[in-house]
Amino acid sequence: MSATDAAAIENILADPGASQWLKAALESAVARDPVDALNDALVLAGTLEDRLRTVLGLTESA
Amino acid sequence: MADSDEPRDGKPRRRELNPRRGGALLIGRLKDHGRANYQFRSSEDPSYYVRLLTSRGERTLWGKDLERAIREGETQPKSGDLVGARRIGREAVTVTTRQRDSEGRVTAQQEHHAHRTRWVLEKVTFFAERARMARRLRDEQADVRNSVRAHPELKSTFLSVRAAEEFAARRIADPRDRERFLELVKGAMAGSIQKGEPLPSVPLRQERRKPDVAKAPRDVKREDPTR
Repeated sequence: MSATDAAAIENILADPGASQWLKAALESAVARDPVDALNDALVLAGTLEDRLRTVLGLTESA
Repeated sequence: MADSDEPRDGKPRRRELNPRRGGALLIGRLKDHGRANYQFRSSEDPSYYVRLLTSRGERTLWGKDLERAIREGETQPKSGDLVGARRIGREAVTVTTRQRDSEGRVTAQQEHHAHRTRWVLEKVTFFAERARMARRLRDEQADVRNSVRAHPELKSTFLSVRAAEEFAARRIADPRDRERFLELVKGAMAGSIQKGEPLPSVPLRQERRKPDVAKAPRDVKREDPTR
């Protein structure tokens, strides 16, 4: 991990505006294999977007 | 071409996230936006970019109308907001193509007609609200009064539907054709609302005609006001 990456992670962990959920996810992710962690994060992001579309009723075709 | 909005990075994308197809809604966090030459190349024409962080990575949208869409947006999205971007139509424009020499001087230019994409770019909750409103309009059982109470901004839309109903009653004899016509009108309005297009504006009362000063009888006893 480069110094820049480490600083970015530290910044998020120290950011009072960042959610506890994000901080916990980040802490557990940095302990994992970075490829697996990013792959899972992308799956998570796509799944959460799909959920957002469903919850907000944005799935209907216009 | 400065007004082509899609990134040309060749990366595969999920079909529903490509706003070129059927005005799909692209969702992402607004990173930044501003004026720049198309694709950040100095040889290209001035354009406007919007950078979004989507669940599929960063996307950069290009189009001059994006500047208007952000400036005139109802929700005034700012960097860091979760936003939706959608193409809502195209308008005809004249585009000037310039040929430049190696030092960047314009050596020839040509005008041709093209279409500029119109965008809507708002905070994502705006689209959720519009989707709710569209469902209200589509729902034939919905009580108009309750709907207008819940969404006062729909009043002009319902008035437009009422006007269409009156038009159909007067001009379309076949009840099935009348029903089909009204379904089409409602469907088109609901679609526009859902896409995020501006709501229709119907004047609630006709403006009173101002008296024609030239023809109005003049009161000779009163003096004209000083100007």
